[in-house]
Amino acid sequence: MVPLMAWILGACANTASVARIHPEAVQGLPNCTECHTDSWGALNHQAPDFMIKHKVYAGSKFACATCHEESFCADCHAHKEEIKPNDKYFNSPERSLPHRGDYLSQHKIDGRINPASCVKCHGRQNNERCITCHR
Amino acid sequence: MTSVNYYEKGGDVLISHHEKKSRRIWANLLVMAGMVPAAWAVLPAQPLMAADYAISGESNTYLRMKTTVNKRDIYPLYEYLRFSVASTEQDGSTTSLHIGGWGRVDLADKSSRDDNTEADLQFGYLSFQGAKNNLVVNAGRQFVVEGVAAQRLDGLYARSDFAAGFAASAYAGTPVVTEPTLRADDFVGGARVTHSDKKYYTVGLSFLTSLAGGDRYREEEGIDIWLSPVKLFDVTGSSSYNSVTDGWMEHAYTASFAPIENLRLYAELSSTNYSDYFYRVTTSALVFDPLVNGIDPNEELLALGGGGSYTMLKNIAVAADYRHYDYDVARDGNYYGGKVSYWVPDSQGAGLSVHRMDNGDSRLEYMEYRLYAMKKLGRTQLTLDFIDVNYDDDARMNGVDHAIALVAAGTYEINKDLRVGASLDYSHNPFFDHELKGLAKLTYLFDVNRSAEGGTKSEN
Repeated sequence: MVPLMAWILGACANTASVARIHPEAVQGLPNCTECHTDSWGALNHQAPDFMIKHKVYAGSKFACATCHEESFCADCHAHKEEIKPNDKYFNSPERSLPHRGDYLSQHKIDGRINPASCVKCHGRQNNERCITCHR
Repeated sequence: MTSVNYYEKGGDVLISHHEKKSRRIWANLLVMAGMVPAAWAVLPAQPLMAADYAISGESNTYLRMKTTVNKRDIYPLYEYLRFSVASTEQDGSTTSLHIGGWGRVDLADKSSRDDNTEADLQFGYLSFQGAKNNLVVNAGRQFVVEGVAAQRLDGLYARSDFAAGFAASAYAGTPVVTEPTLRADDFVGGARVTHSDKKYYTVGLSFLTSLAGGDRYREEEGIDIWLSPVKLFDVTGSSSYNSVTDGWMEHAYTASFAPIENLRLYAELSSTNYSDYFYRVTTSALVFDPLVNGIDPNEELLALGGGGSYTMLKNIAVAADYRHYDYDVARDGNYYGGKVSYWVPDSQGAGLSVHRMDNGDSRLEYMEYRLYAMKKLGRTQLTLDFIDVNYDDDARMNGVDHAIALVAAGTYEINKDLRVGASLDYSHNPFFDHELKGLAKLTYLFDVNRSAEGGTKSEN
């Protein structure tokens, strides 16, 4: 019964899927409002609060996938990332995250100030990086 | 090697952590090893099927060079590989395969605690995207972000638009555990239902449930919103509730306003109840155990802040941000600062930022200065990054109150598919008086029809 209702509701929706690949080539951090006047404009990557809000937008991951490969998410949210970020993204120094410089020392403070912020990228489960010091 | 016994569900089988980890590493290495010949086997056939198939891949090979605190020279060699192939039907639907992971081999001394080799399959899933209703069905290892869920799992995921502005998604599978030193959940599932008006709002309701050996492990419900009652203003955020502990885990909301084209302002509010939020978090630094320098379950954090950016001249912007941390147990804190940046896309850029972490406890106070510059000269791109952190109290920093890091890096594009790069890091920090690290990098792209397909799906 549930699958039948889902099929009927889906058939009634009949919305067109977003393009699999963004039709216009985009370089660097895009300002989506330059072209989009509807809700897609909210995805403006140049906005100073975009990083704070991107989790909610990621609920429409099929839209992110028009420009980003799955590996783009995994670069930060893989929980085992080892390569120092400014090596991996040294051609994008404008990124505030992932961490740069001697963050090993600084994380002692930032981890105390807001430990919930660590979980967003490093995950809920124990991992080898943390165990190295936090046994 | 210390072994940690691990109870495996479904039988009285006790296997050591080390044995289990070794098996997993070899399994991941086998997958990684199989990806390379598979990618190269597919590529020669590409011209025959270019009309219907899109192939995308990227190989990043890194060699790091550094000396550890124990004076050991380590040379870990990494390979990061991603590969995807997509077949689009005439009706617009697409079937695709996405695989990505990394492996490491230590060419000299061990670079980590356990083994000379390490590998992780980050994602590997088969996906179907329908031509209508934004229908997506994924099967395999994937990262699901739906309301309260931000979860890596091995399993199934499906979502679709429905009638009258509704959409729904559901997922079920086994949580991906990268370091099984502690027993965790063995099943996770959940769903999210949203209702949207494309111009004004999206409201989502979601839940996540997980089980360990058939017992309740995590049960979370949440609401998430994007609300834009008037143009140039929106509110985005979410609240999550822990049904196992019967408490709100987190509220996090941001209001954004762009009164004129060059000015963007935002205000944010978030609250976190540690006992509910960190429940079942097994990360060793975040457990409720003061003996291991963990966190206080009685703590509640309310963070209030805001900021803005203003583009003064073309390509020159100034930004400021402020956040106040209000704790139930610890002393309150403030983090604030500003940034000036200059940017010409694909050509050059520079930035200067200053931030202050202020707190009643001097052990948690510092000043942070950052200066970076990037310049592209033909096929060569050069970057320079300088970070200076001054700690108010050096007692927890091995007596060092002034940490600096200087990174110089360069990339040369041999052709549109092949790039080489290198970076050199110098730093003076609480662990080293003088630390020098090097890295060499080789990037090979094997995307097909990139220009014809629009946005390049690489590191953008």
